Order: sequence, then C-alpha cells, then structure tokens
Amino acid sequence: MTRKSLPVMATGGELRDLDQPGYYPGYSTLAQKNSWEEATRKTVTERVEGVPPIRFFSTEEAALLGAVIDRIMPQDDRAEARKIPILPIIDERLSRNSLNGFRYEDMPPDQQAYRLAINAIGEMARDRFQQPFLDLSVHRQELILKSIHDGTPDPDNIVWQRMPVHRFWALLMEDCVTAYYSHPWAWDEIGFGGPAYPRGYMRLENGLPEPWEKAEQPYAWNAPVDSLSVLAEADAPPEHGSLHGHGGSH
Amino acid sequence: MPHRLGPMQTLPSPMRRFNDHETVDYCIVGVGSAGGVLVQRLARAGFRVVALEAGPFWDTEKDWVSDEKGSHELYWNDLRIIGGTHPLALGANNSGKGVGGGSVHWAAFAPRFHPSDFRVYTEDGVAVNWPISYWDLKPYYELLEREIPVAGPAWFPWGDPHGHPYGPHPLGGVGDVLVRGCTQLGIRSVAGGPVAILSASHGNRPHCIYRGFCLQGCKVGAKASTLITHVPDAITHGAEIRAHSMASRISLREDGRVDGVVYLDREGKEHFQRARAVIVSGYAIETPRLLLNSACPGHRHGLANSSGTLGKYLMAQAGNVVAGRFEELIRLYKAPPAHALSEEFYETDPRRGFARGFAVQTVGPLPIAFAKQMIAAMGAWGWGLRRVMMDYNHWATIGVLGEILPWEDNRVELAEERDQYGLRVAKVTFNLHDNDKKLIEFGKNKTMEIMWAAGAKQVMQESRFAHLVGAARMGEDGSNSVVDKFGRAHDVANLFICDGSILPTQGSANPGLTIQALAARTADYLIKQGDAIFFSNRRDMREPGIRYDLSPPFTRLKGNPRIA
Repeated sequence: MTRKSLPVMATGGELRDLDQPGYYPGYSTLAQKNSWEEATRKTVTERVEGVPPIRFFSTEEAALLGAVIDRIMPQDDRAEARKIPILPIIDERLSRNSLNGFRYEDMPPDQQAYRLAINAIGEMARDRFQQPFLDLSVHRQELILKSIHDGTPDPDNIVWQRMPVHRFWALLMEDCVTAYYSHPWAWDEIGFGGPAYPRGYMRLENGLPEPWEKAEQPYAWNAPVDSLSVLAEADAPPEHGSLHGHGGSH
Repeated sequence: MPHRLGPMQTLPSPMRRFNDHETVDYCIVGVGSAGGVLVQRLARAGFRVVALEAGPFWDTEKDWVSDEKGSHELYWNDLRIIGGTHPLALGANNSGKGVGGGSVHWAAFAPRFHPSDFRVYTEDGVAVNWPISYWDLKPYYELLEREIPVAGPAWFPWGDPHGHPYGPHPLGGVGDVLVRGCTQLGIRSVAGGPVAILSASHGNRPHCIYRGFCLQGCKVGAKASTLITHVPDAITHGAEIRAHSMASRISLREDGRVDGVVYLDREGKEHFQRARAVIVSGYAIETPRLLLNSACPGHRHGLANSSGTLGKYLMAQAGNVVAGRFEELIRLYKAPPAHALSEEFYETDPRRGFARGFAVQTVGPLPIAFAKQMIAAMGAWGWGLRRVMMDYNHWATIGVLGEILPWEDNRVELAEERDQYGLRVAKVTFNLHDNDKKLIEFGKNKTMEIMWAAGAKQVMQESRFAHLVGAARMGEDGSNSVVDKFGRAHDVANLFICDGSILPTQGSANPGLTIQALAARTADYLIKQGDAIFFSNRRDMREPGIRYDLSPPFTRLKGNPRIA
C-alpha cells in the first residue's frame, strides 16, 4: 500500500496531483531537446522513456526500500504519471555493481550495504512498533528514518553496530538525489537550464533567464504538518570528513 | 564517421601502430595532464613512443553528453579503499580515466604556484623545499599558458605577477558574488580567469559557450584537455596511444634497468610492451600502486622504493564549499564553474597561527552535485531537501582551496582486495594534522565572511577535499624521495615518474598547470639527454634549457602580457 503525506500551500490547499511542482510553471527542458546534440538527446530521452526493471532486489526488499525512498525523497505532490523513478535507478547501479570509485574501509561493498540496511530498517520497525515498515504510518516511518539520519538509530540494531550509520545514510541519499535530479522533470521543478550544447547561454549575470527559460514565480508552502524532514536552520550534521561520491567542483 | 575531438577537430588518421614485440624508446603509462604533454614532446623530437591508457580513447561528439549522470564514465570508478580520520572521496572528485585523464573533467582553473611554494621549509619551517625553484619552472608556465592556452586578466597581482595570452571571460552570477563580497571587505580579486578555457577561438577549437558543463567533459572543445591540446599533435608525429590498456607491472632486468611494461587489454589478455625507458604518469594513486605492484627481487617493497617513501606524503587540498542563498536569482549553472578567485590569503601570515594559506575560488555545482552538498552541509532530506533544491537558482557557491602539508601518514598502500584485472587495489589513508585543521577553520570562516558580505541571507558550508598530489615525491636526497628533479627514479636509471605524484608540496593553486609545466620540462631533459637515457646510468643534473620549437600548432606569436 502506498502511503501519502501531502504538503500544503501557505494560502491553503493541498499540493497534490501536480504535473510540475516548483516555481517555474510552464518551463520544460525537454521542450528544448531540438537544441541539444544527438548523444545527449539520446541519453536524456532514454532516461525518461526507459525505466529499467528491478533485477537486484527481491520483491520484498524492493517494497521496503521503495517505501523508504518515498519518505526520504518524497513525491506525494506529484501526479502519478509524473513521479520520477528512483528505486529502479539504484537497483540498476547495484545489479551492474557500478561503483563510484571508492569504498570506506569500514563499509561493506555497496550491494551488501543495501541488503544489510533494508534488513535493519525492517527489524527496527518490528522492534519499535511491532509492525512491518510498510504498514507503519508515514509519521512512524519518518521517526525511524530520522533516527538514522541523526546517526542515532532508534531502536539500535546489530547492523548499525557493524556498519557506520552516517555512511550508509549518505550513500542512500546520494543515490536518491542522483536519480531524482538527473531527470528533466526535476530540472523543470528547480529551474535548471539542462543540457546546453551546442546553443550555450547568452545571459550570464543577474540571474536573467534565457529567452527559452521562465521567470521564477515563487509561492509559499509547508511540508505535511507532522513531517520530520523539515530543515532546521541550525541543523548542520556532524562532520565525518568528506562524504560519499561528490562530483569535483574545483 | 571521423573520430571527433571537439566540433572542429578530428583525430589524425591513421595512427602509427607498433607491434607487441617491437622495442620502442619510451613507454608512457597514463595519458592525462602529464602523459599527454610528454607523448607529444617526445614524438615531435623523433622518439618512438607508445602511451598506454587504461580507459577509452574518447570521441567527444559520440561519447560525451551534456549531462551530469551521463558523464559517470569519465571518472576512475574502479574500487579503491579509503580510510584515515578524513577519508578522501575519489572517483568523480579527482580521478580521470580515458585519454586526457583528469584534464577531461577538471574545472580548468590554471593559476601558477607562487615562488614561496618551492621553498616552504626555508620560509616557514614546514614540509620540504622543492629541488627546483619557481624560476626554473617559470618559462614552462609561460609556454604552457600559451599552449593550452589560458584566459585571464592582464593583471594577476599575486605570487609572481603575470598576465594571460587570452582575455578574461565575462562574469557569471557566482563570480559576481565573489567579486562583490571581496570588494566589500577590501580583498583583491580577479575575474574571468586564469582558466584554461578559450575566450576566443584558437586554431581548430571554438570559444566557450558558457554552458557550465566543464566537469562533464567539454564537448565544445573550448576547455583544454590534453586529449584535444597535445594528443592530436603526438599522433601526427608518429606516437601511438593504446587505449583500454591497463598496466599491471613494470618489468625489471637483472642489470637493474627496466625493459618494458606488462599490461592487460580490455579482454583481460596480458601483453608486454618492450621499451628502452619507461615513464609512469598515472597520477597520485595509480602511479604508486603500479610501482608497489611491481615489487620484485631487489625491490621487495615496491619498484624504486629504497627510500620507503613511495606512496607516502600524499596530499589533497582543502576544498570546503561555502554556499550562500540570496534573495535575488543567481542561476549558478551558467558560465564556467571556474571564473573568479582571490589569492589574497595564499602566503603565510604569522598572525593567523598556522603556516601557509589558501585561495578563494568560484565553483558551480550542477543539480546533483549541489544536492549532495546540501545533504552534507545541512543534513537535508525529505521535504526539506525538495524545498532547498527548489531554491537552487538562488544559491551561489564559493570554494576554499587550502594547502594541506605533506605528512608521512597520508599514503597509498596496497589493499588485500583485487580489482577486475586481479590486481591489488589501492588503499588510501588521509588524516588532517593540527596546521591543516587551523588553516581549514580560518579559510572556511573567511570564505563565509565573503559570502555574507556579498549579501547572502543564509550561509552553509560543506567540508571536502580537492585534487591529489604527492606519493612519489621528488627531491635531491634519494633517502627521503622517490625521484630526482627531472622525475628520474633514484633507484632505476631508465625509469621516470612524471605527474602530480612527484610534487613535494602543493601550494593553494590548482595543480593542473604545474603538472603540465613539469611534464614539458622533463620532456626537454629527456630530449637533451638523447640516447644516454637508454644506455647509461650516469645522471646529468644540468638544466636542459627550454625548447620553444616543440609546441603544438597555433601557439606561436602569442604572448603573456603583464600590466605592471
């Protein structure tokens, strides 16, 4: 069963069944694809049209991880046909054992880390609420995930005594954002220009939109009322050295 | 379809092919920043050269995309184990695979090191001096700035003040923030470079189109990589670049000289390339790994490691990213990530309580990289992450680039685990020491101050590291360094190392230009020595004198202007 938890407009009204969340209504990167070159057009089009099948995870594992992803990268505001696939992208990476170039010495291989964590989260749900994770309310699911986010799993689990919880959290989050923010619908949501070769940009300063980009039309909204994944201003996590998998930036 | 190197340039064809059992003059391992320059110089001088590259030979039109996730294959993604108090993220962060190596996905900031960087022990009593001075390298800086070439201000006030052959780029939103913040605080800054990205077309390369995908491989061909700046000329002059060739071992003869490189092709089949001399240019992890994996009788702890320093003194620079949210729109994805900086805090200031310093530079993370920064900087997840990402266009990001000193315990070793070739993988250990921590704290706070001064409403910072150098350092004394000042192994007369791993210290400048300048100098030395390298164990330590006639086409008649 898919559980939902809807954000709300500050002026009232739930945000649901949206074709395009965000502040750039009518903006579409895909609408510009005739200005992209062939290799990029092919890569991005395949990403939108061809969602890979689940190969690595078992049905049970896929269901539990899918429910976790629904909370840590929630899309309840998006219309069903406009949800961005995340679980299949993670599954594809793991089934090909595609690495990011390194592994922490205190971490198991990525494939094993995911299996261990899925088991641990399932056990945490049963230990704390005597129910499978899938059957928990959104709020209870978030309670468990927040404790992992905070690095203090509640209830503790033998897996987290062997595998550093903050490293797994970073691995999972980074896999999720790689799937979500590589999708052109997410680019539309945040107003990112998307592929830009061979045309390039002509308006560099002052945040000016290109002629084909849209002006921002921000609106005030709130996360679901009982959501625990709201950012606190002073909520910087403890430092664990460099985190997993950063693209170089300089 | 011809093999494209950018929209205007094609790979010279046919490429010369050497037979497996033919003995070449030089076998170079790795075609990155250094290997690309070396192979071009040696081929032009008439040597028979084969360069082995573990990754593919990129066709930039077919293989590269204007897309973050789709660029994953540009990086060295094979397994490495990381540890220490501050484990270094590898892969996309700092390691390239394929012809051009890391120069394919560098941001292309191209500042020179300062004269003080070559003598930090004398000046500050820390680390070690280089066996050469800035003035030995200066003519090579000027030469490479013309070859790759570098765009930037005509007045660059720090270190040895200098100008740049191509004019500066226009300012993007992030550069605007950096210049604004610095100006508010009375800190000097420069904009539009120095960066190895064309601000005007150059030979068969177009100028920049400001699309911001520098780190994903420049399809435009405006950003320099040795794939497009030096490799075509190498092939024109008879070099062979052998892609998908993973070196597994350097072979040592009984007389203590090397005679070639064992490597594996993409099917895993073993080959042996005979060579009269070998140059390892695999960068700061694969270079020591190959030499450690080449241990043999007489070199039990790794080839050329009688000093015990091979793999040690590995360095990364502090690369903290400070992100600031502004009321107004920034759109940080436009313009090259690298386009404005300040080196006002580069030199040691005794009042700060630590040795050496840092630079402040623009960075321009695309959405995935930016989301990862928000996860690290503010613990973002769930609805909080969705919300902060909806403000992506309101954020600007400025990076610290800080000098971390070389420490013996920061090192590359061999792990027990093996890779897909059956070779032991590298284990990379990294720890911060007291001076490093103080420097990072100061640099991070100063950069946050600049962000606030520019008018940010919210400021976050993420700890990270940038670049990799060291682990096979050069020095005068063979008991505490691996190679001499020309990159020749102290222990083996016809074995050279030429890449970032020979740097004794790293300054606060991006290392790419320095690595290429060192490669051109090593090439001049090898050319001057001629056949003596192949037959003699004698070491001539005299400077070779710079050759101005070995540059790739289109670089003549350019200058390095300087407004005094």
